[in-house]
Amino acid sequence: MNALPWLIITPLFGAFSMPILGLLGRKVREYWAVIISGFTFAIAARIFYGIWRSNEILLYTLGDVTPIGEGVKFPIRIIWEVDLFGALLALTVTFVSFLAIVYSLGYMKEDSGLDKYYTLVLLLELGMLGIVITGDIFNFYVFLEIMSIASYVLVAFRNETWEGIEAGIKYMFVGSLASSFILLGIALLYGQYGTLTMAYLAVKIAENPTLVSRVALAFLIGGLLFKSGAVPVHMWLSDAHPAAPSSISAMLSGLVIKVGGVYAIARIVFGIFNPGLHEYLKALGAPSIAVNTLGWAIIFFGCLTLIVGNAMAVIQTDMKRLFAFSSVGQIGYILLGIGIGVVAYGEKAGEIALTGAVYHIVNHAVIKALLFFVAGAVIHQVGTKNLNELSGLARRMPFTTLSFLIGAAAIIGLPPLNGFASKWLIYESSAMYNPILAVIAVIGTVFSLAAYTRVLFTFLGIESERVKTATEPGKTMLIPMLLLVGVIILMGLLPWQINEKVMLPVAKMLEQLKGEYIMALVKFMGGV
Amino acid sequence: MNSQNNDMGLIVKTMARVTIPLIGIFGAYVIAHGHLTPGGGFQGGATVAGAGVLFLIAFGLSETKNRINKTLYSALEGIGGLVFLAMGMLGFGVAFFYNTLWREGPVFNGEPGSLLSAGYLPIMNLAVGLKVYTGLVSALFAMALFRRWKK
Repeated sequence: MNALPWLIITPLFGAFSMPILGLLGRKVREYWAVIISGFTFAIAARIFYGIWRSNEILLYTLGDVTPIGEGVKFPIRIIWEVDLFGALLALTVTFVSFLAIVYSLGYMKEDSGLDKYYTLVLLLELGMLGIVITGDIFNFYVFLEIMSIASYVLVAFRNETWEGIEAGIKYMFVGSLASSFILLGIALLYGQYGTLTMAYLAVKIAENPTLVSRVALAFLIGGLLFKSGAVPVHMWLSDAHPAAPSSISAMLSGLVIKVGGVYAIARIVFGIFNPGLHEYLKALGAPSIAVNTLGWAIIFFGCLTLIVGNAMAVIQTDMKRLFAFSSVGQIGYILLGIGIGVVAYGEKAGEIALTGAVYHIVNHAVIKALLFFVAGAVIHQVGTKNLNELSGLARRMPFTTLSFLIGAAAIIGLPPLNGFASKWLIYESSAMYNPILAVIAVIGTVFSLAAYTRVLFTFLGIESERVKTATEPGKTMLIPMLLLVGVIILMGLLPWQINEKVMLPVAKMLEQLKGEYIMALVKFMGGV
Repeated sequence: MNSQNNDMGLIVKTMARVTIPLIGIFGAYVIAHGHLTPGGGFQGGATVAGAGVLFLIAFGLSETKNRINKTLYSALEGIGGLVFLAMGMLGFGVAFFYNTLWREGPVFNGEPGSLLSAGYLPIMNLAVGLKVYTGLVSALFAMALFRRWKK
């Protein structure tokens, strides 16, 4: 039996049954959340393994065996279309969510209203999983809203603090505006082409690329850049991440901005407005969309993001705000990789850049989750996240310090750790394509290095008054951190094997040089 | 007037006694005929929640406090969601959301246009109606209970 629907059913069942099981008491609620998210992780791993081994796009129709309607030749049902990219992100999402839930057991112990908390975390996970598996653009919007609304509430979860409420309101206003852009884009596409299935939309747009489709593309990309925290519109992110509980910051920074932002951009660009398809149309002299312009726009925002994000990280005094700006900076690298993947479509540089972007999405999710877990442990045990008050934590909290060292080294991209390989691929491809881009990318990393060196002194300097009584956090907080350290080191030891075996096929499947994403659907239609 | 005595006058309360059952019945009608007439789970659920809001405003917070049980409403909301999910999974042998009740029965497979037709749709409407009603009423009640203007 197909395992794909279980990826949605399991967290949905967990979220809906939480208010009922929550009546049985606190322990039951917590174990239930851990069991459900662990089970979801197992399902995602199975789906990923299945697609990775067969190297085929998985297409699942809701409501019937075929997406094609009776008596017509076009798809009428919602389809879920999962390629290796979607499956890889589903695996990452379920892994980090599982660890975040385990981490919350210790971290959120002192908070009230936890019955709602676990429901919301499961809904956040559900929304992200829906985004990565869906092949229907309106279904994508619905899951995007599930994810966004759950994250607005979770950012403002500690509603007795002023910053929680402030960040929550800002995030909600900005996020709703961005969502309405996306909805407007979808409405324009539907009005023009009369279909919502992504793969079929790609066919229809290639047949008749109108002005409306270009405007819709601009709205979609604009809205999604908001959601991913690209630079002119990153201000919500730097407020939302410090204000949220650290387990949520880890999910927001590691997953939400990638799944709701860069994943969706990549999916829409390569799935619907495929550069190869429009290149081909142009060669035939048929009307086409200038996807190269789009690619350069993404590169522009990527460069801006990685410079500004990393530079702003250097001057922060708040540990979590620093990590938040660093997330903005890393999103810049991913956007740069995707942008080069678009403009150099079908060339070696484009493929390497796309591989690097995909690789960096996974790496950054793992690393940034670890760093926010570390920040959470420091806040939980010491009670402050101000870098000026903290110093010399290494003796009192050795495991936390070790986790931070590994995480910081990995995010800068030191060779034995996983951040190196993905950044290397992005540098290499940008140097191959245009050396100026490589220079910009390296400047970003220099800023990032400066920012993390400052935090290093927090852990290694002379012991300050505040940290004299600090102790290590409990097991439920330490184990997720050490597990992530293990993953980072393991991925760092086998960088090129992972690249060869996983990331390269992922990038190839996303790039779909032969239009595989579209063909997976067209197969059902009996050829058009 | 202290905060405990925040209900409305006699005329409003008497009218509310008359209209609340009517609104409730109309809402239930909209939910139950979701597959036949305009409306459905969300619209009907919001209508029934309107009756709840009328109760809250006409009879005041202290009266409502005695009658609304937070745990019950929260659990009912969960049950509404679970029933919807269960209906989606009925035809899971073929596909998620496969309408097996409509195609094979045993119930809800009557002549189109009759009440017992359309497969899982009426049940889903009931589930959504329950979820919307309990959700909206609990949300509004929680806002009404929120700490006072000052303090």
